[in-house]
Amino acid sequence: MSQPETQTPKAPEPQVKAGPEEDTLYAVRQKVYPRAVTGIFATWRWILVWATQLIFYGLCWLPWNGRQAVLLDVVERKFYIFNWVFWPQDVFFLAILLIISAYSLFFFTAVAGRLWCGYACPQTVYTEIFIWIEEKIEGNRAQRMKLDQAPLSARKVGIKAAKFGAWGLLSLWTGFTLVGYFTPIRELVQEAITFSFGPWELFWIFFYGGFTYLFAGLMREQVCKYMCPYARFQGVMFDPDTLVITYDPERGEPRGARKKGVDPKVISKGDCVDCGICVQVCPTGIDIRNGLQYECIGCAACIDACDQVMDKMNYPRGLIRYTTENAMKRHWGRKEIIGHLMRPRIMIYAAVLVAICAAFVWGLATRSTLRVDVIKDRSTLSREVEGGLIANVYNLQVMNMTESARRFTLSASGLEGVQITPNTPFEVDAASFRSVTVEVAVPPESGKPGSNTIYIEIKAVDDEKVRVREKTAFLLPR
Amino acid sequence: MLKLIQVLWPSFLVAGVAEIVFFTVVAPRELYLFGEPAHFSAIATYSIGFFAFWIVCAASSLTTLFFQRTSNEINQSDSI
Repeated sequence: MSQPETQTPKAPEPQVKAGPEEDTLYAVRQKVYPRAVTGIFATWRWILVWATQLIFYGLCWLPWNGRQAVLLDVVERKFYIFNWVFWPQDVFFLAILLIISAYSLFFFTAVAGRLWCGYACPQTVYTEIFIWIEEKIEGNRAQRMKLDQAPLSARKVGIKAAKFGAWGLLSLWTGFTLVGYFTPIRELVQEAITFSFGPWELFWIFFYGGFTYLFAGLMREQVCKYMCPYARFQGVMFDPDTLVITYDPERGEPRGARKKGVDPKVISKGDCVDCGICVQVCPTGIDIRNGLQYECIGCAACIDACDQVMDKMNYPRGLIRYTTENAMKRHWGRKEIIGHLMRPRIMIYAAVLVAICAAFVWGLATRSTLRVDVIKDRSTLSREVEGGLIANVYNLQVMNMTESARRFTLSASGLEGVQITPNTPFEVDAASFRSVTVEVAVPPESGKPGSNTIYIEIKAVDDEKVRVREKTAFLLPR
Repeated sequence: MLKLIQVLWPSFLVAGVAEIVFFTVVAPRELYLFGEPAHFSAIATYSIGFFAFWIVCAASSLTTLFFQRTSNEINQSDSI
């Protein structure tokens, strides 16, 4: 990992085992029992847990225009998102959305490290919820460790069964919710009542639910350490001015226990009382005092925990804090750190991000609700019709991308005396597609023999502004 | 277990991407199976498609693992 190095204080062995043992990493694992933590960063994490999960569990129930507000109808290949109906042709918007996500990740990582990992990643969010359940059922950290070491007993089996049961229910609900974005969730509820799920619906509920259970309940930090692609490369986005969670060894060392309220200078020690709480709260089980490590997901639990200890000792807060490598080296204050936030890298990320977001919004706002493809009928190039006119036949693929049926009229231009049939309005159903056969006829002398350019215009009857003008070729016999 | 995860996990990720890209471009009802239109439901087609991608990607991961070993390791060791 190419994360910036921070000074490693005097050294208990680093927890990461290097070298030949790496091969057994998936198997060798010390179970982590994170101690519950409160504080400003924990509060932020809970705010984000609530915000993201209210959206995830709630949005699928929101009705809109007589249907589900957000419904990814893969069967009909239409994504309904509030007032919008997206078709496969709109994949451009999905691509832009992915680019925005990527740039946001770059931006936030460059500013303050793994903010995404620490606060908003589903892995973190679900682990937080699952640990909350674990804590409610099995008790606090010490009780959980004791329970795991205790021999098998009816009580232990009961507690474990309760925990696995609660996790299981939540996982199934999560799987059900996910499927509810693809099959209307109210239909899914009806199917649940009679247990008449489609086989694949049932499968995906258990598949997603099962992985939620596995990742958030059992694997936890291992997902971040071994499975997450972002965790592997996020280090390259750090620079010496990136805010990261840092233990201040200059202030903390030499660490050591002491009585409450003792001035560290008197006993010639640093501010670290070596209580080990920063290690106990860490969801990945590392010791932040060994410097920045790739396992650190930036959750700031150690900051909250250490601040509480510092309060109790009547020492200033911030022995572990968000700071930058440069700030540590050069003893910068808050002002200089913030000043270095405005460095070119961040400005470029921000500018690109704003530009792409603007393009996205502009694209959405000006997105046409009518799309037309004109396909020339190849079977008959041109023929003579009544009144000595020459006719060409076209096939119009008309897509009505709105949620109400719409009537359209046709007109043709580009050649003298051009006529088009049908010349009465035709209807296209809501959010659907219709193929219309059209005949265009012109007097033979109006153009040159061979190919002539004409335009076919389709206009919505109810809205003048909804119109598409397509260029096509009209063939006159030689 | 390690090898299993090394094969299944990256292939899962890539299969997810492949699934999205493929089915964005191709509608399930445009698919033909041995010259006949595939008459599965759309959900079944998407699901089977995903597992097909997963299997193909896993086969590739497995081959990568295979080629990472020298011929000596393959011929002399009895453990995979």
